[in-house]
Amino acid sequence: MMKKTKEICMKSLRDMRTIFPAFFVATLVGVMLEFFIPENIVYMVLGGNPFLSVVLATILGVILPIPRYATYPIAFSLFQKGASIGTIFALISGEVIIGSPDRDVMEFKYFGWKSFVFRGILCTVFVIVGSLIVEALL
Amino acid sequence: MIADILYITTTRFLYSLPILTIAILAAETLNSGISKEKIGEYLRKTRRNIFGTSLIGLVTPGPLAPYLPLLRVLRDGGLPLPAVVAFITSQTLVGPLRAFLEIDFFGPAFFAYRVAISFFIAVSVGTCYQLFGNHIGLDISSSKTEHER
Repeated sequence: MMKKTKEICMKSLRDMRTIFPAFFVATLVGVMLEFFIPENIVYMVLGGNPFLSVVLATILGVILPIPRYATYPIAFSLFQKGASIGTIFALISGEVIIGSPDRDVMEFKYFGWKSFVFRGILCTVFVIVGSLIVEALL
Repeated sequence: MIADILYITTTRFLYSLPILTIAILAAETLNSGISKEKIGEYLRKTRRNIFGTSLIGLVTPGPLAPYLPLLRVLRDGGLPLPAVVAFITSQTLVGPLRAFLEIDFFGPAFFAYRVAISFFIAVSVGTCYQLFGNHIGLDISSSKTEHER
């Protein structure tokens, strides 16, 4: 029991060493967005037309190299600035479609490039559909 | 202005720190409590069932990478590719650490929708593999992986 608890604590500390700095930087980016990007621009790009903003947020989520869990402070700042809830959903869900390089290389190697690309395309399409559903329901 | 930015950033970060710490500890506790073997056993039981593997993916903690070798073994053992990708999709979209952060930042309703829609996304991706996989040259049913053919 003690051994397991110690192991959990050690692994958690290892996670904290990578997650905390990334989270701090993401919070800093979020605050800078609040300071430097006017509210009307955020609303126009990520809150005006739901279809365009959801597609844009999904693509941004997929292509931007945002570390795991660091999306949340940035998404929260954008939400406070006027981005719609569907857009936030798209950004958070889009971020996980392409994962860490080690995960992607393994998936690519084990199941083939066609499967990897096909899954990426399908996930992007269904994240857009799901975000539009959230936009309509929430 | 720089001082203001740093002050707000530090305040927000310190505000998020307790929930982040609890989230990491909870995720690691779950991760150590649920073994890969157990997940593998559940996946074997839900053979050919996209719904089942999507559900297992939703409740599987931790990063995906440690589960990929196991998925390959199961795939070689006959688990169809649509079921494998349904698991991969739902496992990456939701996780215990995300639950804490999403509820803290956007509320429980947002997280509930995320879980429900992630399940829908995983099932849809698996179904598309089932329907169109053969047409694009994917081996969706046999135990061989694509690069081995």
